[in-house]
Amino acid sequence: MLERRKECIAMLLAGGQGSRLKVLTSDIAKPAVPFGGKYRIIDFPLSNCVNSGIDTVGILTQYQPLVLNAYVGNGQPWGLNRNYGGARILPPYAQSDRSEWYKGTANAIYQNMHFIDMYNPEYVLILSGDHIYKMDYSKMLEYHKEKNADCTIAAIDVPMEETHRFGIINTNPDHSIYEFEEKPEHAKSTNANMGIYIFNWKILKKYLEMDEQDPNSSNDFGKNILPKLLEDKQRMFAYPFSGYWKDVGTLDSLWEANMDLINPSVPIELKDDDFKIYTRNYAKPPSFVSGTAKIENSIVAEGCVIRGTVENSVIFTGCVVEEGAVIKDSVIMPNILVKQGAQLNYTIIGENAVIGKEAVIGRSPKDYAINAWGIAVVGTGRKIEDGEVVAPKQVL
Amino acid sequence: MNMTGIIFSNIYDAYMGDLTKYRTLASVPFGGRYRLIDFVLSNMSNSGFNNVGIITKYNYQSLIDHLGSCEEWDMSRKNSKVFILPPFGTGQTNVYQGKLEALYGAIAFLKRTKEKYILMSDCNVICNIDYELVLKEHLRSGAQITVVANREEPDNDDEVRDFVISVDDDNMVTDIAIKHSFTKENLCGMGMFLIEKNLLLHVVEEAVSHGRYHFERDFVQREFLEGSLSVNVYEFKGSVLRNRDVPSYFMNNCRMLQEDVRRDIFDPQNPIYTKVRDEVPTYYDHDCVVKDSLIADGCRIEGTVTDSIIFRNVVVEKGAVVDHCVVMQGTVIHAGANIKYTILDKDAQITEGRTLAGSERAPVIIQKGDTI
Repeated sequence: MLERRKECIAMLLAGGQGSRLKVLTSDIAKPAVPFGGKYRIIDFPLSNCVNSGIDTVGILTQYQPLVLNAYVGNGQPWGLNRNYGGARILPPYAQSDRSEWYKGTANAIYQNMHFIDMYNPEYVLILSGDHIYKMDYSKMLEYHKEKNADCTIAAIDVPMEETHRFGIINTNPDHSIYEFEEKPEHAKSTNANMGIYIFNWKILKKYLEMDEQDPNSSNDFGKNILPKLLEDKQRMFAYPFSGYWKDVGTLDSLWEANMDLINPSVPIELKDDDFKIYTRNYAKPPSFVSGTAKIENSIVAEGCVIRGTVENSVIFTGCVVEEGAVIKDSVIMPNILVKQGAQLNYTIIGENAVIGKEAVIGRSPKDYAINAWGIAVVGTGRKIEDGEVVAPKQVL
Repeated sequence: MNMTGIIFSNIYDAYMGDLTKYRTLASVPFGGRYRLIDFVLSNMSNSGFNNVGIITKYNYQSLIDHLGSCEEWDMSRKNSKVFILPPFGTGQTNVYQGKLEALYGAIAFLKRTKEKYILMSDCNVICNIDYELVLKEHLRSGAQITVVANREEPDNDDEVRDFVISVDDDNMVTDIAIKHSFTKENLCGMGMFLIEKNLLLHVVEEAVSHGRYHFERDFVQREFLEGSLSVNVYEFKGSVLRNRDVPSYFMNNCRMLQEDVRRDIFDPQNPIYTKVRDEVPTYYDHDCVVKDSLIADGCRIEGTVTDSIIFRNVVVEKGAVVDHCVVMQGTVIHAGANIKYTILDKDAQITEGRTLAGSERAPVIIQKGDTI
């Protein structure tokens, strides 16, 4: 019998490839993708945990974990280097009778039941590393306890015309759930499943074990575990969340979410001393802005040297923008060199890329038919030659 | 690593005016996001030091807050530590007057260290130096003490340096002068000395029992002139920024705007570490104008900033003009204010439409937390 226990621990599903991010995730897992000038996507769920008083986070990795593992390290940047608990990377591992990859989100948790049992928690919070949002999970836990629930799912109100993109949760007036609709054509409600779950650990453990016995199951929370709990009439509630929440699983949505940071009408405020987003720091000097630079409506992180023009853009840590280069409506990830005279419009440039002199990347949408245009993307570490042209919608 | 580091945090406090009213010289902000101690401590960390003692005298609360556990400098490990050494005052003794006395207060720490050599440094001189090379040079020379020094050209005839060394054609030391004028022929001490631990312990005990406290004058110069101390010079050739008083501190901040100086000081292979504050990246508004300036994280720039150093979390509102200024953390310059040649200490407020102007040689200082 363990004497010491944690009330609630978090399990963060970070193993996904994020294949829709294409060249940006060819070498790194989606949660490690840079966001917002100095962050990576995983900073948001990790910081949310810390700001909610959750100090134990199991991080389940599988796809290209090198960058993510190195990034999380011992959890120190988030205050998750704890003697009891803290951040733990949990890759798939060999077992005495079998060895397998994580088959699905539920199977990933199933394979790490021993980790959870080490802390003997009352509740387990399941998170994913796909979204940009700030949320105090402790309020959701309070709600879960108030409702005496077995499972609570965070839900956000989405516009009716977008319901077909989400898992929709239909609830009774007391927020108890009576139905799930997966990407419905005609939804009954506008409560979208945010992929944030609190379970009573005893119940979840039972259902994970049952699910594992079912050879037809795809071992997925959304497809298998949640419908099964509902079928068995367990107490399931939706927790209404309001605030900024954005999926950054596609190139377009990743670009948009970055642009939201410089759009005053979008309610995402990262500057908040009472709810900081923590990130790993790399000891870079302040940014130098030269006499030839012009910066407008943009955010620029530290360690940059800006000598060119930057408008409506997000410039990450350690970038160099040479004289005469013009960057507009773009996302320039860490440690990128943009050489003289390069023209960048509506682009995402991956980490460590080099953009040659006079190269032309992307175009403004106004000269194009709606289907012919898209964000131009240059992959991580890619070198664009002097004068090279990358058309809109092209992904290199 | 066979060296222990000793950093003196207070020695030049008196020359820095209001900037050291509530803090040690070591914790005076510098260069947009640093404090003076960051440079010497980062140099020691990057040179592989496992053991550093920081000698403090008074006002060291901000220093302790800044250093925390020293994890940002990678000095909070089982085998790698920083010790803060407050004055060892007993009923009869006062706080120390000079380095020899200060070292006497730290004698228990010195005796406990396993390393054979001690590298002592002030924290008013900024550079990016590899102390391993200093040790190598010290061992090669066979001298009893090595002084780190550089060559400088004085701006005017009455300029002096604290420790002026004359050398002959073979770079052998011929004379040492304290607070003396200098030329390009001289080497100017950078407040960094390398000495064998046992010799230092002996010297400190001897000096204190004879009422001597000034390390440079009462030990190095005196014993060298008496012929009983062999002195070697390590000539450092990178950028050196000496903060001797408020005008030089102001000038040195401005020198960080020069690309060659930044390249020297912010060597990517040997980074300068500082306390992490988890600020958001800086936002540059529509119609802002920023020219030739260093800007740290967490700021909001709506107005005009030229030839200035802007620390973390500063707001420059619309229509405000900031020219040749050092603006420290958390300061707000409200709409329409116009400030030139001013040092704004932390959390100051310049109210709407205010005008302030100092000059290059006499910058205005606005004290911490003041509202103008």
